[in-house]
Parts: sequence; structure tokens; C-alpha cells
Amino acid sequence: MSNVVELRNVVKTYDLGGAIKVDALRGINLNVERGEFMSIMGPSGCGKSTLLNIIGGLDSPTSGQVIIDGIDITHMSERDLAHIRREKIGFVFQFFNLVPLLTALENVQIPMIFAGRYSNAEIKERAIELLRLVGLEHRLHHRPNQMSGGEQQRVAIARALANEPSIILADEPTGNVDRETGLKIIHLMKNLNETLGQTFIIVTHDPDIAHISKRIIYMLDGQVIPEPPRLTMNPSSSILAEERRKMLLSELKWLEVSIKNLEAKKMKLNKESYLQAKLGYKKRLEMLKKALQEEYKGRR
Amino acid sequence: MLRTARFAFTMARRSITRRKFRSALTILGIIIGISAVVSLMTLGIGMKSQVESTLNEMLGAGIIINSSTYGIDIPEHVQYYVSQVPGVNKSIPIIMSMVYIGNKPHTVVGIDPEQANEVYQVTIEDGRGLRSGDMDAVVLDSTIASNLGVKVNDTITFNTQTGGLGKTFKVVGIIRPIASFGQFASIGCFITLDAAQDFFGTPDRVSSILIRLDDPSQGEQVEAILKQMFPDANVLRQEEIMSNINRIMSTIDGVLLGLASISLMVGALGIMNTVMMSVHERRREIGMLKAVGGERWHILIIFLSEALLISFIGGVFGCIFGLGGVYLIQWFVKTLGLNIIVPLLISPQILALGLMAALAVGSVAGFYPSWKAANVRPVEALRYE
Repeated sequence: MSNVVELRNVVKTYDLGGAIKVDALRGINLNVERGEFMSIMGPSGCGKSTLLNIIGGLDSPTSGQVIIDGIDITHMSERDLAHIRREKIGFVFQFFNLVPLLTALENVQIPMIFAGRYSNAEIKERAIELLRLVGLEHRLHHRPNQMSGGEQQRVAIARALANEPSIILADEPTGNVDRETGLKIIHLMKNLNETLGQTFIIVTHDPDIAHISKRIIYMLDGQVIPEPPRLTMNPSSSILAEERRKMLLSELKWLEVSIKNLEAKKMKLNKESYLQAKLGYKKRLEMLKKALQEEYKGRR
Repeated sequence: MLRTARFAFTMARRSITRRKFRSALTILGIIIGISAVVSLMTLGIGMKSQVESTLNEMLGAGIIINSSTYGIDIPEHVQYYVSQVPGVNKSIPIIMSMVYIGNKPHTVVGIDPEQANEVYQVTIEDGRGLRSGDMDAVVLDSTIASNLGVKVNDTITFNTQTGGLGKTFKVVGIIRPIASFGQFASIGCFITLDAAQDFFGTPDRVSSILIRLDDPSQGEQVEAILKQMFPDANVLRQEEIMSNINRIMSTIDGVLLGLASISLMVGALGIMNTVMMSVHERRREIGMLKAVGGERWHILIIFLSEALLISFIGGVFGCIFGLGGVYLIQWFVKTLGLNIIVPLLISPQILALGLMAALAVGSVAGFYPSWKAANVRPVEALRYE
């Protein structure tokens, strides 16, 4: 199988002015094969978003080499990078980032309008086809504010698929929806991976995504750690214990937000599914708290 | 390219309709500027053409000799010498001076009735024309008559500028207005030359001699000869007067347009501000558009089209309101009772110019914020919520 992404010793240093420099990535080597479904996990600030931006041609590395689909994009001009982004990359964001002025159908058309690969009729046809693929054929002419978070994220996935990209990069795709919706989105992506052979690279805190990923890489302080630290890992390693705690805390935060979201949507949901979802969250919250308590006990 | 433009236009349309109030205010700014430009230009062109045709009729002569003091002190017999100058077809002595009727100044023309038709096109609407020997008869044009509220056989009293005893004239005829632009220069009140000389107390004196040429192209030659003959007099050629007046009109035009442009400039600032705010609010959207492959020019077009659409709408309504403004000025002038005819010439060139000015202003004002949008760094725009 060919590599869709090849990173060779990629370093990214942010110069914050004066003598202050922050190493966001310290020598990343990574190959991603076509058709992979890969998660990147790690605490906030570990450089995973920077890594995603560099793979996606939104940012350039300070040193090293970035090869996408056999093309070296390391030193490309802004214009050529834009070209790469629309031909080879699809983005899915945590906050959906749909254009609020446009309908679902029009949002999906954007990358195709920029690319100029298809005719007008083809663009429309393809956009409808893609929305059908993500199960939104009944929402073609709805604006983002008329859709739920999950629906918006599915529109974003359809948009990412528009120009048949080599890779779809997703940054916390389930970070802003409730767990149930998150699961649907994960399964949609997984499904697209299996049926279309679409390559996915997903940055996430969501254990559900990690769970179904064929491959997980774990990042810490700008480096890839080969063995992902599982919850069962030996907490004696202080760095990993720290990371574990960070991960647990971030999930805790995520859960709290999700519960808040659920409360806000209480009136719209039917009572049964609301209670069920709430129960699910509660259970998970209990588990997390327990795990965290043990974590801190072990530290002492 | 075309596809992007169409897409950008759709976005611009929705962006404008979504923020109705803000867009309306911005559009209003452009409307005010453009309507000022359009109405002033329409007025300017109308006035100019009015002045030209009026002068043609009023002067009725290729050359006019005035006293250097603009008083009534040219001996009447000078006319004889003038008539001997080669190229002069006809020379007519007149008195053109100011009288007060009621308390308003009017220009009265004293002219030999036999010769009046040589220079003025007189059409009698009521009563009769002047006859030689009429010493207390006056002919008015219908505008002045209606302003004064007089009819044939009514009487009016002339006073001189210095006051003193007036003299009563009987209105014997009402004619169609010959030419008038502004009450001081309107020619619409005629008495015989003899009556004028009697009234002003200037026997054998006239204020001007009107000259009609055999051939209009000889104007300069004849003018030169007359200037040599009467170095103290004021010899004016019609074309010269025309160009002088045109120069004055252009200056007025320029000043008015300058004022109108200031309001247009303010409108431009409104557009700049609106697009700037739009760019600011839609930073994440710009980041996303770049992430999915939008280049600088895509983003530039999207925001520029918003500025252009705003200015286009403002331009269209500005043209409509500008023409409406001309009607308003006409009405205003009439209500004030000023004897000024404000002509209205709707010229498609002015409307096209108004629209183009609006679009030009829109693209210039919209460019800077759009350029800023085009240069937003996607990584930064997408980083935080």
C-alpha cells in the first residue's frame, strides 16, 4: 500500500518574539497508508493540532519534509498549498464551520466551486449525492442554524468529501456534539472509511473514536509516542500518569459540556431518549470520577 | 472565475439581507451621496442649456455695445455710425435698465416697436403689442403678469432704484415669455424707447446698441472695428458672453459637485466600515474557506462583491432620489416665489455616471477590508472559538 502521508523529521517552532521559542513539534516521523483510519490522541498543547495543520497544508514546518500523496509540499507557495488543500485534503472541524448564509447543499458545493473540476450541473448533482451519503437528503435546503449539531457535522463531512480528497483531517469532530450524536458521526466516518476506502486522520479526546480506530498514535510534548498509554498502563511512569490525568480531566470537561448541551436541548428531545442519554452521561461521569480519584491516590 | 463570482454574489445578497438594518444604513449613505451628485449634475446641465438658449434669444444679436458704466449714456446717434460698419446688418438702440414694480426689481426694455421683432421673438397672447408713440403702455410676459397679478388694461407703477415719484403704465398686451433665467435678467417687460427715455430722464441716450451681423462668422472682425471706434464702450460678442457665463457655470458646477462628493466620501466610509465588520465577524468562515482550498482572490471576490452590491443598490436608488431631488428643488423655488425656472433634463449619461460613481466608490472602499480578509491566515482564524 502506498503512503498518503509521509512526515520526515518534522519540526515546528513558534517564535513568540524576543528569545522565546516554543517547540510545537520536535521531529515527527509518520507514515499514513491509504485507507487508514487513524486517531491522534494527546493532551491539549501536545502539538496534535499543529501536526494536523501541517499535514493539511495550512501551516509549514520549520524543518523536515511533508509529503502528501507523493507530492512534497514542504516549501510550497501559498497558492500551491491552496491547490493541494482543495484537491487532496478534506477538513472537518470541531465547530463545523459551515457558512451560515448558505444552505447545506451550497456549503457542500464550496470546495467544488473553488476547484473548477466539475461543471455546474455536476457540482449540484454531486453535492446532493454526498448529502444523501451522509443521510441528509431531507436537509438539502436547510441553513446551518436550522440543523442540529450532528447534522451540521455531517454536512461538514459531505463537504470534506466533495473533491474526492486523499485524506480527511478531522480535528475533534465529536467535541461539540452530545455522545449519541458523536457515535453516529464516528460510525459515519468509519463507514466511509470501509466503503469508500477514505483515509481519515482524526485528532480526538473521544475514547469511542480511539476505540474503533485501526491505529492510534499518541502525542506528548510535540513527539509521537509509539505505544499508546492505555488506562491500564503502569502509572509509575510519572509523565504518562500526568498525561493520563490530563486525558481523564479533558474527558470530564467534555462530559460536563455534553450534559449542559443536553440540558439546553431538553425541550426538543422526547423524554425517554433524554433520560436515557442523561443516565448514560451520569454513569460515565461516575466512572471517570472514580478513575480520577484512584489516579490521585496512586500518586500519593 | 464566473462560478466563484456568482457564488460570491449569492453570499453577498444573503449577507446584506441578513443584516438588514446595518445594510440599509450603509446603502442610505451611498444613496445620499449619489442622489446629491445626480441632482446637482442634472440641475447644472439643465441650467446651462437654459442659459444658452436664453442668451441666444435674449441677446438676439451677434454683438452688443453697452455703456462702459452700464448707465444710459450712449448718444442715440451713435447707432448711425455703427450701422455703417461693414458686416453690420442691423443695429438697434435700446434702453435696458432696472425698475421697481411694487418692491421687486424688474428689467425693463425700451425698444422701438417697429424693430422689436428683429431681435426678440414676440408672440402676443392677449391684448396688443407696443405701437410707436405709446408713452404709457407696457407689454408684459405672462410669467411676470401672473406674478404681479395683472391683466390687460390693469395699471402698474414703475419706480426707479432711487425711489422718487413713480409713473403709471397701462398693461396693453401680454406676450409669451421670451426668455428668462432669474428675475434680474429676465426680459419680459417692454415699453417704447421714447417712453423709457422719458421715464429715466435720458433723452437721446440709450444704454445699449444691439447688432445683428450679416454673417455670424464675421463677429470677431466687426467686434475689433467697433472696439477701435468706441474705445470707451463695452463691446461684447455673444459667443464671448456665452463662454464667460459657461465658465461661471462650470465653477458653480465644480463647487456643487465637490460638496456632493464629500457626502459620497462619507458613504464610502460607511461601506468600508460595514465590510470591515463583516470580515471581522466572519473570520472563522474565512479560515474555513481557505482550508477547503480558497485562494486569496476567492476571498477577495466574496467580500468585494458585498461592497459592490451595496453600492449598486445605493447607486440605483441614488439616481432615482437624485431626480426626485430636482423636482423637489423646482417645487421649493416655486414655493418661495422666485421667478427662476429650474429646468429638468433627465440625461441617461448622468444616470450611468451616477451608477458608475457608486460602483467605483464601492470597489475602492471595499478593497481594503476585502484585501485584509484575503490575507487572513487560516491557522489563526480557525484556532479559537
